Order: sequence, then C-alpha cells, then structure tokens
Amino acid sequence: MEFKVSLGPQHPALHEPISLRMTLDGEIIRDADLKLGYNHRGIEKLAESRTFIQNLYLTERICGICSFSHQTCFTQGVEKLMELVPAKRGLYIRTLVCELERVHSHLLWLGVAGQEAGFESFFMYTWRDREVVMDILDTISGNRVHYSMNTFGGVRRDIDEIQRKHILDSLDLLKKRTEYYLNLAASEPTFLGRLSGVGKLSKEKAIALCAVGPTLRASGVPMDVRKDDPYAVYDEIPFEVCTADSCDVLGRAVVRVKELLQSYLIIEFLLKNLPAGPIKVKAPRKVKENEVFSRYEAPRGENVHYIKSNGSDKPERLKVRAPTLANYPATIAMLKDGFIADIPLIFAAIDPCICCAERLVQLDNPRSGESKVLTFSQLRQMANQRYKKIHFKNKETLWPF
Amino acid sequence: MNAEAIVQKISSDIKDKIQEVSLAAPLRINVKVDREKLLAVLQYLKEQLGFTHLATISGVDLGESFEVIYHLASHLATVNVRILTPRSAPTIPSTVSIIPGAILYERELQDMFGLVVQNIPDPRPLLLADDWPAGEYPLRKDWHFNRPAEKIPGGK
Repeated sequence: MEFKVSLGPQHPALHEPISLRMTLDGEIIRDADLKLGYNHRGIEKLAESRTFIQNLYLTERICGICSFSHQTCFTQGVEKLMELVPAKRGLYIRTLVCELERVHSHLLWLGVAGQEAGFESFFMYTWRDREVVMDILDTISGNRVHYSMNTFGGVRRDIDEIQRKHILDSLDLLKKRTEYYLNLAASEPTFLGRLSGVGKLSKEKAIALCAVGPTLRASGVPMDVRKDDPYAVYDEIPFEVCTADSCDVLGRAVVRVKELLQSYLIIEFLLKNLPAGPIKVKAPRKVKENEVFSRYEAPRGENVHYIKSNGSDKPERLKVRAPTLANYPATIAMLKDGFIADIPLIFAAIDPCICCAERLVQLDNPRSGESKVLTFSQLRQMANQRYKKIHFKNKETLWPF
Repeated sequence: MNAEAIVQKISSDIKDKIQEVSLAAPLRINVKVDREKLLAVLQYLKEQLGFTHLATISGVDLGESFEVIYHLASHLATVNVRILTPRSAPTIPSTVSIIPGAILYERELQDMFGLVVQNIPDPRPLLLADDWPAGEYPLRKDWHFNRPAEKIPGGK
C-alpha cells in the first residue's frame, strides 16, 4: 500500500522551510515532489528599483552562508558591464575571502553531515574548527556573516602583515585537523557504513539533471567554474579539481574534505604572493547599456547571475540562480527508491540553502496537500481572536497564557 | 577548441537554423534563434558540441515581447541562446525532452513572466503562493507591488 507523507516546510530534520511530499511504499520512497516558495523574498524584482551600489549589499543578503559568493558574482558582472579592470591586490584579497568562505561553508556542511549521520562528536569538532576560520573572516572584514568586502573595482578593506601571519598560523591548525577528518571519513567503519551507497546519483543522471558543485563532482564529473571559466585570479593559482566516483553521500563528503585541503593551499598561495598596490580603482556610477552572464563557483556549486543594464544607475534585470535550485532535480532522483530514514542525509548532502534558491513574501499552511490554505489575513484574524481572549490587564495572566 | 572555433563551427554547421552568432565577450557566445528552431539548436549544441549543462533560463521583459535566454555551459565556453516571444502570445517550447534539468527553470518562467511553456511535463506553479491571484506575473515590468494598508488593531 502506498502512503503520501509530507515533510516540512517546518520540520526538525530540515533547517530551512521547504516542503517535500513523498509517496512511500513501506519504508521505500517511490516518488518525491518539492514545493518551494516559503522563503521567496522578491529580490530580483527589488533589485530593479535599487542602484548598483545598493544592489551590492542586497545581493549579499540573498544568503547567509554564501553571502560573499552572491556579492562577488554580482560585482564581477557589473565590473564587466563598466569595462573596469579591478586592482590586482583587490582581486587577491577577494579570492582570499572566497576561499575562506568555502572553508567555513564546507566545515559547516561536514558538521551537518555528521549530525544527520548520527555522529554528533564529529559535528562538535568541525564546528569548533569552523570558529577558527570565522575568526579569520572577522579579523579581515569585521563581520562573521556578511563580509561586505567587495566594491566595484576591488575590495573595501586591506589586510596587513599581522593579519597575514594570523591567517597562516591558523591554517596550519586547520590543515592538520582536516587531514584527520579525511582519514576518518575514509576509515571509520560506522561512518562509512552510514554514508556509502546512500543517495545514489549516476554520472549520466547528474549531467542530464544539470547538477552543480560537489554533488556533480562526487558523480565523477570534473566541472568547476574556477577551472572552466576562471574569474578573479584563479587562472594564476595552481589547484586541482576534486572528484569522487562513488556517486553517493560518502563521495560528496570526500569531495568536500579534499576541496578543503585545496582551499588551504590556495589561501597559502594567495598570502605568499600578495602583490603590493592599491586595493581598488574608482568606478563610475552609471553603467551603459549591455548585458553580462556572470558565473562563480560557490561552496555549493555554480552560482549564476545574469545582469542587464539600461544606461542608468539601476539594473534593468537581475537574474539569480543559486546552486541549490540547480541541485533540486538531482535530489529528487537521489531520493527515489531510497529509505525514508535517509531523507535528511540525502537532502543535507546537496548542502541545501533554501533562502538562496528562493527570492516574494508569502505564507500558507501546507500541513497536507488538500487541506485548506490560510491567507495572511486569515492568519491575522486567528491571531487577533486568540489574543482578544487573553486579559492582559489582569495581572494573574502569566506567560505562556 | 576555443570559443572562436566554436563560433565558426556553429555558423558553418547550422547556418539555416540560427539568425546570428557572435562572441560577445571572452568565453561568452551569443546565439539568436527563432523560437520554432530552438529545440533543434539546443539538440545540436548538446550532441555535437557537448553543451550539456543548462546553467539557467533567464526571462527579460522587453515591453512588446519577452526575451528568453538559455545559458548553456561546457568546460570550453558558455553559449547564451536567445529567443523572442511576443507579449500577445507568449509561448515557448519546453526543452525538458532534451535537457531534463530545465524543468524548474521553466516552471519559474511560467510563474514569474506568465510565459506558456508548451508540452511541459509538470505545469504546476513553483514559487508563488497557493492563493496568488491569477494573471499577475511579478517580474513583468508593468507589475508593481502595492503594499496593502497596514491596519493596527486598536490603533489610530
């Protein structure tokens, strides 16, 4: 007998609102369906009424983890529209923050994977190490989440000798610990047993469904925007594209740990070859009519911004495609014929960032497919009715009512 | 094969199917096609030149018509295949039969621009709310967000 089960939009196993509707046969998932839009904020529409400088800080707020990815993708696109050549030192610092963000995002993911796999201590370890890189980002930019480092023509803050030394020292520590995790991911039998063979995605399917990032690379496709379409200073940096051919969650974990090690090498290279000079060049305020297609390798995969300008200081159109949206069709393919207990693990393995993938404010009650949908005004009425019953003036009324 | 060679190959191989092909920027190839010939061009790019990855589909409101851009990528270059569809009859063919990963982008276009994607396997709304009024497409230029007047209960 087949059951239909809906998971989310609010669910303890998912960290952000998304609705998964699954058709089950016993414990096996026969079909899966996604409903998006619980976190849609209308950023694309909003961007059309803001200037390029304002959009710089708007695009950063598309996501809280890969904030720098979106900002850099937008900045690079607008720089091309402005026909601006950014300052060399600025580009090095920009690339440095890109890689630091990748390190913090991958460490975060490893922790989440550990937690979903039931390996809680792994979660604690990686998140402890993540603080090291968060501190680095804090010393460089002054912020832990939205770094606001980019500006058209370069970056906004320089790094000095003390910061450089601090980063190099911290890297040594991170390197040792990451090597330990790689060893652990490859040898710990319980961890291996939980991750291997889960969420299979064949190479052909991954290509056909246009997956991106570590999800695609773990299926044996060496696609990396940093190599294929180099931006910033990636054409000067020696690094390898990490792949795995196990096509499962374990492969995705291994790819991310290997990418961490590559990122440390890139950061070291950048800091040792940091050119002297200005960190930014002056940028014009207005942008002449043109269009650009900007690509960026975010920690989760290829991030894409399409920007069209119309000669004013505001964009005509900004299209954002975050890596998570590209990975959804592949996720459905991975869930099919899997076990219900593997859902959080498979879903976490694409490193979903729902706020990235969605950009209109809305509210509904999706307890089940056919049950009634509440509009915002109805919800408001319900809340008002509830609060009217409570006598606030009566001092005996205590929280939680 | 570099981007110039790809431009040469496209212009010699499928000259009759495309309107124009140009190298807009390093690694960015622009191809303009009629909407009737879109599928044939995508098929050619996928099978002959290895552009298997569809990065996204962008819609742009140009007033009289909509421009739909298919951003295809391979490890060699990026091809932006663009078609125009009139505002009076905004239909585009579905590309899911060639690129299965296009489904979410096509559903997004239907929601945001009110384009009608012909032969789409799954036409349900994707991003907009379940009680979103019919016939309102937020990313069209003539659509403006009007914030409903805030009524403060018990207020002035």
